[in-house]
Amino acid sequence: MTITVPVISLVLGFLSAAPLFLAVGVNPVLAYRQVLGVFLDVDGLTESLTRGIPLLLASVGLCLPFKMNFWNIGAEGQLFMGAFGATAMVFLLPESSAFVLLGSMMIVGFIFGGIWGLVPGYLKARLEVNEVLSTLMLNFVAILWVDYLVYGPWRDPKGFGFPLTPMFPPNARLPWIPGTRIHAGLVVGLICAGLVYVFLARTKWGYELKVTGESRLAAKYAGINYLKLTLLVMFISGGLAGLAGMGLVSGIVLRLRHGISPGYGFSAIIIAWLARLNPLAAVPVSILFGGLLVAGDALQIGLGLAFATSLVFQALILLFVVGGDMLTRYKMALTWA
Amino acid sequence: MKEIVKKFPGVVANDHINFDLGAGEVHGLLGENGAGKTTLMNVLYGILRPEEGDIYIRGERVDIGSPREAISLGIGMVHQNFKLVEPHTVLENILLGLKEPAFLLNLKDAAERVLEISKRYELPVDPKARIWQLSMGERQRVEILKALYRGANILILDEPTSVLTPPETRELFRFITQMAAEGRSVVFITHKLDEVMAVSDRVTVLRAGRNVDTVDRQELDKTKLASMMVGREVLFTLQKNPIAAGEPVLEIDKLTVMGDKGLAAVKNLTLAIRKREILGIAGIAGNGQRELTEAIAGMRPVASGQIRLSGKEIGRESISRRIGGGIAYIPEDRVGVAAPQGLTVSQDLVLRRYREEPFSNGVFLNQHEIDSNADTLIKEFNIMVSGKDVPARTLSGGNLQKLILARELSGNPKLIVAAYPTRGLDVGATEYVRSLLLKQRDTGAALLMVSEDLEEILSLSDRIAVMYGGEIVGTFSASEANIEEIGLMMGGSLRKP
Repeated sequence: MTITVPVISLVLGFLSAAPLFLAVGVNPVLAYRQVLGVFLDVDGLTESLTRGIPLLLASVGLCLPFKMNFWNIGAEGQLFMGAFGATAMVFLLPESSAFVLLGSMMIVGFIFGGIWGLVPGYLKARLEVNEVLSTLMLNFVAILWVDYLVYGPWRDPKGFGFPLTPMFPPNARLPWIPGTRIHAGLVVGLICAGLVYVFLARTKWGYELKVTGESRLAAKYAGINYLKLTLLVMFISGGLAGLAGMGLVSGIVLRLRHGISPGYGFSAIIIAWLARLNPLAAVPVSILFGGLLVAGDALQIGLGLAFATSLVFQALILLFVVGGDMLTRYKMALTWA
Repeated sequence: MKEIVKKFPGVVANDHINFDLGAGEVHGLLGENGAGKTTLMNVLYGILRPEEGDIYIRGERVDIGSPREAISLGIGMVHQNFKLVEPHTVLENILLGLKEPAFLLNLKDAAERVLEISKRYELPVDPKARIWQLSMGERQRVEILKALYRGANILILDEPTSVLTPPETRELFRFITQMAAEGRSVVFITHKLDEVMAVSDRVTVLRAGRNVDTVDRQELDKTKLASMMVGREVLFTLQKNPIAAGEPVLEIDKLTVMGDKGLAAVKNLTLAIRKREILGIAGIAGNGQRELTEAIAGMRPVASGQIRLSGKEIGRESISRRIGGGIAYIPEDRVGVAAPQGLTVSQDLVLRRYREEPFSNGVFLNQHEIDSNADTLIKEFNIMVSGKDVPARTLSGGNLQKLILARELSGNPKLIVAAYPTRGLDVGATEYVRSLLLKQRDTGAALLMVSEDLEEILSLSDRIAVMYGGEIVGTFSASEANIEEIGLMMGGSLRKP
């Protein structure tokens, strides 16, 4: 069941895209071949892994607040703040060894993302401020803050006026697996997935998250301190998204720029959901999602499709996969009102 | 209403009830919680369909399929929980659901009519005020106006004075008398003896879904009504060992606790419970018992006053501290609070003590200990489950309560606060729960038990306190208990300090 439904959903999703391809004048079979080619090609696979790293870190982080029904929609902003923090360290310690610099970039990236997560956590626990609104709004604040920096004080003077920082020096770049663009962030991501899994399954906070997810009143009855739990969980969640941001600037793009993340923080929400909030399951789902993004690129580059068309294709696939998942969770019945 | 029968799964709420109402009559409907009063009126108002029985309005047999039909027959109802839309204005709420005015432009005529009715019955309202701005008394006036605007000449009021201040109550009675004088009829549902006697022409008493009697105004007698309401039950006496109580474990001093509606639910209450003693709190639900137990357990904040456990003030302590201090709490809501349904049996069995040794070392849970704890408790308390890793939602009501008791009683608690511990349980489970509570008392615990089952209170308690309107209106030992007096106290007509 856990395998057949997603497979059928994928097949249906692909079939539903056929009219789309026909409408833009492309033979659907060629499109399918292009997409499947991504997964049958070493470069395609490694690129999927690369794209999957920030998705993995952010989605693993989201498993925590979602488990307690705290709807953190702010992973994107937390990611941006992490990217900001990491970049700040490059400006502060340009001469340090790679070990020191990269280490401090990770720590600061985590902390800045974590702080960005603490704010809505505190507001909800103390003032019952709806976290969907607060986390969503803070995304814009973080994105625009980064924009201010890259258009302003941090802009590369040799960058032809584009909103980006100078390229990071070699000691600020995460090492790559030779021959690929897969950076050390993958290792960090896998370790974090394991750690969060243990956190959820074995620690007392994991237990508290389960209880709080069932009912806040039951959590109160059990003596759980909602404020402390929310702050802890949102710090970690924001921190992991911040790490994702650090990985983006230090492992792939090698600078901070406008639009550093094309919505990874939001895609992470879907991934966490599809993974049923299991951090270990988030690993394959993130990689597959990465593959979906690469497939979108392949359609544009290989067949000359417009960006919008590839987006619609990705959306159709997601629609069917999420829809299929919905159907496995709920029984549906037709009734007369 | 003749021979009305209304059943719900597992209970007959109305068992061949007869009820009649004359023109211009104020008819009080008296009974404890669960007696069937609201159910009967919900049948009259079309919210419920009876399994058997007939309703006649002005001599004609009618079939009331929905409140809309009831309204068209001239029946109006003001419920205990107001059905008002808070962000809308008074006028908009009154007009909600009506065909006229078809467009909002004709509001002026409607507003005038509302003001006319409002003036006639002296129920001042501002049609432009928004509901969320209004006090409970004002909101009730809007509900009444809603019914009057639709031309109600049979008005049903369900526990109307529970949200009113004394002067507002007097105003309400004045209004009821005015309605009756005009030839309209009023049904007044309540459990308060003084009120029903002050304003009714006749009183019908229901108990456990059946008619007890209907009494005319001239023959109204408080004591008689009280014993009709509460009944003389045959007492089963459990094996209760006479044990001398020890020193006080729980001392409540002038405690005031706010309720959900902004009014004080517990008012300046003073009470003490001693070691090896069961104190039973009798009273109709809704008189502050729930809020009292919640304040002691830490689920509800204390507005003023003190709660002392073995001399130490705990009124502002966190729940985890109170758990550590030896307070066991068996709440009213088993499914939503006491035993979350999505957790497994073994997880629920450590719900309040997971942070202590040996279940956790501060960071990691010791699954082995949690599992063996579950095995022990399942065996000791005879909890019928297919395994300890099944979700709690698969347990029957009785077994779920056993789970909760197993957890709360296994830590050797000093104080046990139990709210309605045998509600909804079958005979076997009920006896088992009661014997468990008695055993705890024998081995040195202090117990506070809230129950709506007087028989239970009388047979289990060493001392009894009756709560009414957020206060204790009488305390006495179980041997001094007098059912008539208890009934009067529960109805608010007697105080025995």
